[in-house]
Amino acid sequence: MTAEQQENDKPDLTIDFITSSAIGRINFRFLLIYIPIFWLGGLTTMIYAVAFIPQLKSWVASLLYLPASIFFMICLFIMGCIFFSKLFLVLINLLHKPQEGIFKAEKGCKEFEFWQIRIQLKKISIWLLNNCPLPWMDVLAFRWFGVKVDFSSHMIDAWVDTEFITFGRKVMIGQGAVVMSSMILGKYLIIKRVYLDDYTVVGGQTSVSPGTIIGQDTVLGALSTTTFNQVLEQSWLYFGFPAKKLKVNKYAEVKPDAIKRIDVDNAIAYDVKFDINIDEDKRNMINKNNKKKKNPEEK
Amino acid sequence: MSVPCSLKVGPFTSNIMLRKRFIALYIAIIWLSFIPVLMEFWFYWQILWNETNALHFYLFLPLFGLLAYVSLVFSGLFIAKIFLLVINAIHPPKEGVFERSYSDKDYRYWNIRLIVKKYPIWIAHKFPFPFLDNICLRLFGVKTSILNSLFEGWVDTEFIEFGKSVIVGQASIIQSSLVVGNLLIVKKVVIKDNVKIGAHSVVMPGTLIEENCVLAAHSLTTVEQHLDKNWIYVGIPAEKYKVNSFNEDGLEELIELNIDVDGIREKYEKLYERGERMQVGLLQRKKEKEEKVEQEKERWQRIPT
Repeated sequence: MTAEQQENDKPDLTIDFITSSAIGRINFRFLLIYIPIFWLGGLTTMIYAVAFIPQLKSWVASLLYLPASIFFMICLFIMGCIFFSKLFLVLINLLHKPQEGIFKAEKGCKEFEFWQIRIQLKKISIWLLNNCPLPWMDVLAFRWFGVKVDFSSHMIDAWVDTEFITFGRKVMIGQGAVVMSSMILGKYLIIKRVYLDDYTVVGGQTSVSPGTIIGQDTVLGALSTTTFNQVLEQSWLYFGFPAKKLKVNKYAEVKPDAIKRIDVDNAIAYDVKFDINIDEDKRNMINKNNKKKKNPEEK
Repeated sequence: MSVPCSLKVGPFTSNIMLRKRFIALYIAIIWLSFIPVLMEFWFYWQILWNETNALHFYLFLPLFGLLAYVSLVFSGLFIAKIFLLVINAIHPPKEGVFERSYSDKDYRYWNIRLIVKKYPIWIAHKFPFPFLDNICLRLFGVKTSILNSLFEGWVDTEFIEFGKSVIVGQASIIQSSLVVGNLLIVKKVVIKDNVKIGAHSVVMPGTLIEENCVLAAHSLTTVEQHLDKNWIYVGIPAEKYKVNSFNEDGLEELIELNIDVDGIREKYEKLYERGERMQVGLLQRKKEKEEKVEQEKERWQRIPT
């Protein structure tokens, strides 16, 4: 066997494609965590209901306060759930500290099982906050679970993993985008930190894979993906699968008024030669319309 | 991981047209499914309500709420299943290519089936815990193991077979029915063991995905495509990319070796390191933030030359 053949036989292990960060396997043990969180979170609202509502003696007053108290009880329930899930999270992280790296995605692997438990624990409160009447509240849960996010950045419309992500200021993540810091690939679970620098924009329906570093002022276009460990440079527009440089993001530091505006109504209309079969009378009609558009004042 | 806000209606079964006469069926299922839950609450009230000392009633109320939600899903499921059995007895579901008009019996019954299934799937999907989804899919005739994670994407509710430990990624679609122009195509999708389907990818009706396959993110399979064993497929439509060698043991270090980004990472870690920032103190941090906000204001007023 020659050396070249041996090289060819080596498995190609570059990760230039991505899969997903959905949990690999559902475990019945997760249910044991859910019940106490739900119960304890519900008890906070019950305390409010028992302590406050009977004090309103007349039914008019209790009717008037009903919408406000329902809203308050929803918020209390959510806050209670977040608080107790954080307590459980601290306990679980004491048992096993979350780490970056490459691990086996199998039943025996400690890292994999604890990763699943962490995700499921966070899921209930993130889900509750996403369905909360106040829109930007999921930032609160992210902050509470240890991801450093400002209220200036926005990611409520996207699937964003809740650990190993660093946000800058004013980050915007588009609708349906997937930002994952972990990925399951065959038998392996890959966890790597994702960096989103200041003023980055991630377009709709894109997927950002683990290990990606997005520099300041860059825009990652819609429907594109980044590969594992990709680095996107500062102030560029990226697009494609995998993301490639499209052009310099020259609008990054421009004052909004200075962007050139085009008046659509007075733009020049071009004559079009028809190669398709169109009846004579209709062709005349289209030509007339074009002339009207060309000089609207002549009429 | 979390259901995004703008997709609030949630992933559920696809449906093309909603006719007014089907709404009666839909409302009937919702109404009937609430009756067992109300009976449950009545029992709970009878057992635990005590005017002088209502502690136990309020203590177990949140737990009862959880139970009530789960039983609401199950009662909806039960009633929908009964409706479905009756409908399937009248006209059994078939694979094939049908005309997309109400004179076609198969198309009409396909619509009715989807409407019947919609409510239980929707209400199961509103619950953050993934079991209920899988139980619904299983009862409606999708062959899956309960341990699969299918809840992040959109999965159709009939003519699909899943193997063990399948992952369906975020926002990916697995459909066993497709409307093309004036035709409705219904074909069975078979997905075997250990298949990983990436985010945002689409699996069309009639696809067969063999064991240990990976369908990467943002890719699409054509109707009746056959994906071979142990391959990674990428693209629109999906094509063979390379052999899936990630199913062997002991590759942890080899994967790490390929790209080295530690130099760049250090630079970024300095910016965001939490330990350093914690030493600075609260007032200093506040000052830094104010400076940054001022910088931003300046930045927006600059006019390019």
